[in-house]
Amino acid sequence: MKTLLKKGFNQLDNLFSLAFTPQWNPMYQLGALSFFYFWVVAATGVYLFIFFETSISGAHTSLEQITHGQWYIGGVMRSFHRYASAAMGICMTLHMLREFALDRYSGVRWFSWVSGIPLLWLLFASAIGGYWLVWDIQAQYIAQLTAQWFDWLPIMVDPMAGNFLNESALSDRFFSLLVFLHIGIPLTLLLGMFIHIKRITGARNNPARGLAAGTLGAMLVVSLWQPALSQAPANLDVAVTEVGLDWIFLNPYTLIDSWGPGQTWALLVGLSTALTLLPWLPSRREKPTPVAVVDPDNCNGCGWCLADCPYDAVTMKEHDYKKGHQQSVVNPDLCISCGICAGACPSSSPFRHVDELTTGISIPGFHIKDLLTLTEKKLHALKGSNRIMVYGCDHGSVVDKLTSDSVATISMPCTALVPPAFIDYVLRKELAEGVMISGCCEGDCYYRLGNTWMDQRFSNERMPPLRTRVPREKIRVRWLGEQGTGQLVREVAEFQTELAAGAPLPIEEVS
Amino acid sequence: MPGVAQIFGQIVLYALFFVPLAYITHSPTHQYLPDDMAVLKIAIRHAGKIIGECTPLTGAEYDKLAANMKRPELCPRERSPLKLTLLLDGEALYRDTIPASGLHRDGVSSMYQRFVLPAGPHHLQLFMNDDASAEGNTWELDQNIELLPTQVMVAQFREGFVLQ
Ligand code: HEM
Repeated sequence: MKTLLKKGFNQLDNLFSLAFTPQWNPMYQLGALSFFYFWVVAATGVYLFIFFETSISGAHTSLEQITHGQWYIGGVMRSFHRYASAAMGICMTLHMLREFALDRYSGVRWFSWVSGIPLLWLLFASAIGGYWLVWDIQAQYIAQLTAQWFDWLPIMVDPMAGNFLNESALSDRFFSLLVFLHIGIPLTLLLGMFIHIKRITGARNNPARGLAAGTLGAMLVVSLWQPALSQAPANLDVAVTEVGLDWIFLNPYTLIDSWGPGQTWALLVGLSTALTLLPWLPSRREKPTPVAVVDPDNCNGCGWCLADCPYDAVTMKEHDYKKGHQQSVVNPDLCISCGICAGACPSSSPFRHVDELTTGISIPGFHIKDLLTLTEKKLHALKGSNRIMVYGCDHGSVVDKLTSDSVATISMPCTALVPPAFIDYVLRKELAEGVMISGCCEGDCYYRLGNTWMDQRFSNERMPPLRTRVPREKIRVRWLGEQGTGQLVREVAEFQTELAAGAPLPIEEVS
Repeated sequence: MPGVAQIFGQIVLYALFFVPLAYITHSPTHQYLPDDMAVLKIAIRHAGKIIGECTPLTGAEYDKLAANMKRPELCPRERSPLKLTLLLDGEALYRDTIPASGLHRDGVSSMYQRFVLPAGPHHLQLFMNDDASAEGNTWELDQNIELLPTQVMVAQFREGFVLQ
């Protein structure tokens, strides 16, 4: 199932990248989009609250007034409030499925995964509460079934359904409670959202501006074309027969009705528990490599690894023995073993005059020393002309498929493990004529930030930079992802042809 | 800057996202109850009679009580459960015993049930015993009713059964 889902997402990723470019690709920022829609819902909610009347008799009428009396602003606000909630529900679901399909939920990521599950409940509860306030026949349906659902619980002494027996049993007090909940639950959701991204360095919680503007524009068009409306006012003396439903958030209600409340509780609580345990279930995934290790002899306390760690696993402390110096420390609970820190370490330079290359920080499974040995060994073995060194990652394009007598390939956890000095070294020592860097899709690194950091190191915006003396035309950086393996094969061939012609296109024009 | 084809692609994708989204926030409609049915709700909230009598304390028992707890007689707190039966057209729709709430079973008994019934004339009978010391029913209601389609009828207890 996971493989199928992954294939589906890869197709969607490609489609959206074509139309939106990787920078605006909504698939790469589903969490950020969920944040964005939350703010839209919050802002429009404040507006609606000003004109909304918190009483049984006033709720429906005041909403009708907002929708029709001031359709150009109140009506649009209401539609934004509804459609942004729905969009948030869909983005959140896709975000969850995507993290699952792309295997981004276990290990260190357990915290983000587990803290995401209450967000599902809180978002549903917020939306259902909102529909309840409209006090139309859909709200009556919600009241009826929510009461039936909660009354099943043995903790309910006084049946909740007693509040909705008929028109004369209704009280404004219960309605005030609903309004209170419709503010309180979304605020709890917001708090939960911040906890959710707490362990992630520089979490992307704002979508690309162009995407945000586009989605607002699209919502405006839909709001004017299909404004959000109420249904007939609720009347508890008349049973609900045919009712329009929000099929995004009210799905569980049809279950309560057809299966009964007990089974619905069992299904939803069971599903949430299973999801919570998912990160610890055995899977066919390889065992993660051991966490990064700091070598105090070679750590000068520069803090570049701290700046680059995508999971906040590196901190600094007083150096073990060098007075007045700092030294990196790795928190094993947070380290995801990507090796990005090793690529950031200034000690990871093969130009250093040492007998055996050592570095300040490295992952034991893929030490910088091993990377150098492997690079030299593989390049020395090449026979053809226009030799190319391809560095790739285990989660992106499958570089093994490129290996030939003139192309050497090395795959590692994350390509950002390659220190820029290595590229300089390979070209300067004429071990190869060109270097190709590949990995996950642009903006969608398996370790969140690898390809972003790599681009910034190459454009001298980030430490350690790729030295300006390195001829850029001899380097290609292609973030094509696993699904772009075929394209990478073709591009390596093209690169070789260009190298042979002696006039390769500058890297910027290619990418 | 995105090209014309890209902008067109974006418009198509936005439409593919938002148009179905706007639609499913209210449609298709769901038939919750058939149009020719009615609903009978029965909601009882009533405290059963206390089980047992108060007994006067003997002098020795009285002396043993703490100063702030002294009282002339000992009264039980536990209340009778409600034994409730609902017959519709002679058939039992509901028959249950509802215990009093609270750790000491000294609170009210509460119940709620909802029945979806065909509209039309019916014979409704409600029987309740709220006193464990009494044989048979202590309360009852026997009434012919006419349920209109989609009508919600509520049976409650307020020192006697009431139909609304
Ligand atoms: C209100 C709903 C949610 C919002 C606003 C939200 C937002 C976010 C954001 C902004 C990130 C950081 C992305 C990045 O910068 O790399 C993130 C990561 C993550 N989210 Fe969510 N999320 C939500 C719901 C969920 C749910 C329901 C789950 C799954 C049960 C989930 C699982 C994850 C995981 C596993 C990550 C970590 C990804 C990584 O480390 O590579 N999220 N979320």
